[in-house]
Amino acid sequence: MAEGTPDVKEARRMLAKGICIAGVGETEQGIISDRGSFELLAEVTRTTLDDAGLQLSDVDGIVTAFSFVESTLMHSTTLADYMGMKPGYFASVAVGGATAPLMAVQAALAIDAGLAECVLCVRGDNTRSGISSSGMIAMAREMSHGAYEAPFGLTTIGGYGLLAQRYMYEHNVPQDALAAVVATQSEHAALKWNAMLRDAVTVEDVLNDRWIATPFHAMDCSLVSDGAAAFIVTTEARAKNMKKKPVYITGIGEGFSHQYISEAESVASVRDGLGRAGRRAMEVAGITPQDLDVAEIYDSFSFTPLIALEGFGICGVGEAGDWVMEGNAKLGGKLPMNTHGGLIRQAHLGAMHHIVEAVLQLRGEADDSAKTEFNGGNHQVPDAKLAITNGSGGILAATSALVLSSEPPSAA
Amino acid sequence: MSEKPAYNKPLPDLRPEDATFWEALKEHRFILPCDDAGKPFWYPRKYAPGTLSHTSWTDASGNGTVYTYSTHFIGPSKAYKGDPPHIVALVDLDEGPRMMTILVKDEDGYPSLDPEDVTIGMKVRIVFDDVTDEITMPKFTPAA
Repeated sequence: MAEGTPDVKEARRMLAKGICIAGVGETEQGIISDRGSFELLAEVTRTTLDDAGLQLSDVDGIVTAFSFVESTLMHSTTLADYMGMKPGYFASVAVGGATAPLMAVQAALAIDAGLAECVLCVRGDNTRSGISSSGMIAMAREMSHGAYEAPFGLTTIGGYGLLAQRYMYEHNVPQDALAAVVATQSEHAALKWNAMLRDAVTVEDVLNDRWIATPFHAMDCSLVSDGAAAFIVTTEARAKNMKKKPVYITGIGEGFSHQYISEAESVASVRDGLGRAGRRAMEVAGITPQDLDVAEIYDSFSFTPLIALEGFGICGVGEAGDWVMEGNAKLGGKLPMNTHGGLIRQAHLGAMHHIVEAVLQLRGEADDSAKTEFNGGNHQVPDAKLAITNGSGGILAATSALVLSSEPPSAA
Repeated sequence: MSEKPAYNKPLPDLRPEDATFWEALKEHRFILPCDDAGKPFWYPRKYAPGTLSHTSWTDASGNGTVYTYSTHFIGPSKAYKGDPPHIVALVDLDEGPRMMTILVKDEDGYPSLDPEDVTIGMKVRIVFDDVTDEITMPKFTPAA
């Protein structure tokens, strides 16, 4: 393992406690109009506790996110109350799409500080069915500056579009590269039991789809869905007595470049800002991109993983489109990416499902063939040991990344 | 020139610190906020980003270059329903800062520029669109 700067060593010191994910769970995803927001969170908590072989009383910390439907400024304690918990540690994290990996970091920090030993990280919402029209408008306006962006009719999709079109212009990236991301992930979603969109689509299908905001067709955009997912963060010592093999958090990193897309300095500065999260996580883990077996990369739009792959150093600058078009991101390719279908084919719950899928991959449990009632298939990457996963909030504004490993950090 | 419809699009959130900027626009003057070294920045704030020095204001040319754009086929709210696509752009102003705007065809800020008439790198200049009695929006149109 490389020496590392003092801050990297400090992150390694914490993770050397064997901070791990000992249980995961996810509900059905899609249009679930018969269940409310807290109900979905409690449902997935039951599934996740079962996975780990725990009782609710074993959990002494809770980290949640936010809801677009249930308005509360105290989300974590509201859920704790709903479920009848008296946790010693509680936090609500709200950094948009970066929230899920940050929830894991928050749990790790709490464990390191002695505030809790077994932390439930849970996020879910009935965003699709439960949101009001004013809530929808507020959500759409959330990423725009209220005075200097929103009045020009900017949408979140168009905000990403501004950056994507400049990226494509600077690096001569064809529209086919974006479509190749969608086609690749659609093949993976076809195998994932709870993916909303189960049909495999081709590059041609994407190119012929209706425009939303250039350079994005409808199929280039992430879904709006109901559903929940959760994971339990604890220590190796505690996980020994649990049901499943722990998956270790061996690297953490964060990066920020701008809040509003008008403020983004350049394509390069955005790439560096979000890239810092992944590069830093890999530095802490003492690995290089070549060591990775699977990549669950945030994909709010088809363009989003391309710039992340470059920022993380998995691909050269401007080369991610070719890399995906060559088939490297497919199951069976050099580094299978978004093996669950991602936000554009499975469901949108920030990066929660990216983390859950990475854990399932590293436990060797990503074969859904037995789930015949859901027509599941095998999306397992054979012998996967190391994964990177990330989430980005805003328009690639704030990014958090994790390296997950089937082996504890000392052996990594 | 097509007849200009009544304005039903979102208006800017107005904070006290933004008043100088919008008052100038109302008089069809385009000004930029500057830090204590005289360097213009975007977006307007009472205190300059990075140093938190007091903001001063400078007259700007209203000339710039399209850094990037996205043609929106769907707008952010029902007010855009039935409209032709609108082009949201980031424009690099000659004075340095980059700002968001919407690209339009005519001098009075309406209608939207046709998507085939926009390219990254094209020169644009400001037009003042008096969308209400109180608000004038800084829109941009091709320079030539």
